[in-house]
Amino acid sequence: MTDKTGSTMRRLLAGGSLAVLTVAMAATAPGMARADDTPFRIGALNPVTGAGSPYGPGMQKAIVMAADEVNQTGGVCGRMLEVTAEDTQTSPDAAVLAVKKLIEVNGAQVIMGTWSSGVTLAVMPITAAAGIPELNTSGAPAISMEDKDDMVWRFQATNDRFGQAFAKIATMRGFKRPATMAYNNASGIGNTEGFTKAWTADGGAVVSAVVYEPKRPSYRSELQQILAANPDVVVMGSYLQDTTVILREWFQSGQSPDLQWIIPGWAANQQLIDALGPEVAASIISVDSISNETAPSYDHFAAAYQAATGSPASGNVYAAMTYDMVISWGLAMQAACPDTAPKAINAAIRSIDSADGTPVYTFAEGKAAIEAGKTVNYEGASSRLSFDQYGDVTPDFSLSEIEGTSFVRKDVVKF
Amino acid sequence: MDTAYYLNLAFNGVVEGSIYALGALSITLVFGIARFPNAATGDVMTVGAFGGLAGTTLGGGVIGAILAGVAASAAVTVAFYYLLFRALAKRSAVASMIASIGLAFFLRAALGFFMGHDQRVYDLPLARATLVGPLRVQPADVQVMAAAAAALAVTFGLLHLTPIGRRMRAVADNPDLARASGINAGRVMVVMWLMAGALAGLAGVLLGVKTVVTPDMGWDLLLPAFAATILGTIGNPVGAVLGGLLIGVAQELSTPFVGFTYKIGVGFAVLLLMLMIRPQGLFARNALVR
Repeated sequence: MTDKTGSTMRRLLAGGSLAVLTVAMAATAPGMARADDTPFRIGALNPVTGAGSPYGPGMQKAIVMAADEVNQTGGVCGRMLEVTAEDTQTSPDAAVLAVKKLIEVNGAQVIMGTWSSGVTLAVMPITAAAGIPELNTSGAPAISMEDKDDMVWRFQATNDRFGQAFAKIATMRGFKRPATMAYNNASGIGNTEGFTKAWTADGGAVVSAVVYEPKRPSYRSELQQILAANPDVVVMGSYLQDTTVILREWFQSGQSPDLQWIIPGWAANQQLIDALGPEVAASIISVDSISNETAPSYDHFAAAYQAATGSPASGNVYAAMTYDMVISWGLAMQAACPDTAPKAINAAIRSIDSADGTPVYTFAEGKAAIEAGKTVNYEGASSRLSFDQYGDVTPDFSLSEIEGTSFVRKDVVKF
Repeated sequence: MDTAYYLNLAFNGVVEGSIYALGALSITLVFGIARFPNAATGDVMTVGAFGGLAGTTLGGGVIGAILAGVAASAAVTVAFYYLLFRALAKRSAVASMIASIGLAFFLRAALGFFMGHDQRVYDLPLARATLVGPLRVQPADVQVMAAAAAALAVTFGLLHLTPIGRRMRAVADNPDLARASGINAGRVMVVMWLMAGALAGLAGVLLGVKTVVTPDMGWDLLLPAFAATILGTIGNPVGAVLGGLLIGVAQELSTPFVGFTYKIGVGFAVLLLMLMIRPQGLFARNALVR
């Protein structure tokens, strides 16, 4: 009885230790292999449908295109990049489900290309908890504040910076009595607060300010309050739909017919002109961040984008941003080599835009330079990619006005 | 701020309230006769707005838009009466209400799928406002109010001056007694759904003329329309109209005091106050002589 139990115990122990050994080996073996040749997984999370749908498909194509470009050089640090794409539907709810799927099912190690601020803010807690970096094209200043671990990189100007550009443009055009109207969310209020800060710092005054709720059947009361202060320009933090209704109601009211409007480019686009007609659109100054158009990297990107999609790169400023996400991620990965853990790559991102580094304009150039032991400064297709302490970039801005039936660039504002 | 300022605010409220009133009238008709709160009313408005868009594309102008929008919404509600609500009429009101929520999701998703989420606009000429005393009156707003007033007049005419209207009021008052008196409840239901759909469709077209057409537009109007319905006593057509106007005016007049982001809250505060003081709604006594 005792003998039998003893032998059972021994057998159990032997079997158990064998099992532990097998599990331990199984755990280490693929880990070692991963450092060598398994693909590095990128989760592309773009607004393919919903309000971001004019931009999302192009952003997604630019990510795949850039990953192909990296892979054609033989990959990074011995690893190929592999892209898995999901649609945010420009909705935080859908984006949260999508990002969980990308991380938990597809094993994505970096998330790239969220567009609207609401989506980015909803996705960030999940990527942060997973220890995964998040690269976005959103504007809300709150994103910088929420990014506690320096794992979030913004390839678009903040709304605050947009506001500063508005102030520069208002000064350039000689406006004296600006008023502001903001959509009640982080992006809209970020724009007008950025403007107000910059404008009042230069000694100016804002004559009236309104924050409005979206999706109203009318904005006449809001307009009435703004126009009562007799402004010469209204600076907007808005989206396309509310802007369409507000400008139409202003025109129909017949009040202050000489008033002009400074509006961010995502709201003041071709669709707005189509909706309002050229007579109303004549009073609009559209301000948008622009790509790094004079850089060789932009020419390189634009040619590849045209070939891949059949559309001009100038039609989608966000595509250049997502392209740069993959290229700078690849270069950072090369700089961090042989450690290709997401955190190590994240820590190397600032090293590839060091001001005193060798300027490089493509992934192939950068990879060769890093392998030769040089520090590099990647000049992006979307902007110079100089990340500030929050991981935000500072692109140039364009000032466009209507000519015929479309917006035409009249000026470029640099910081 | 001076009197003219407040007068203009109140006027804005009346224009907005006219649209709420049409939605509320649609809800209250369904509630009075089919006896459930129709959560699809907002999305039926959206159908009307898209239908109206087709009307202007075919070159009908405002009148074409209204006719096409009203026809589209009425067709949708009657179709769903035959497919859905007729079968559920014998069950409790909750079954019909939940079905209407499902219908709302279905309509919105179908419009989003087939029409896309980009905004569309009615291709109508823009006209400047004229000053009537202190009021700044836009031609579009006059059209909105005139169309709403005409629809309300037709609805009340139908309810009070025609035989089918009398039967509808009889069914609303006491369905069993109406059936015992030989009233064909099926025909009453069809006419009621036609009217409810037409009113919601008109609201959708008017909202589309003032704003932009998207698959979500009607959904955003559902809550104020419900609030107006409850405020004016559920099932009471006069109450629904006055409730809509009251909420519209209260919201706009409150803006100098609470600001623009809280004016929607004011509509609900009025409703809350009503429910505490007079939970049966403003016009409960009239309801007895529907």
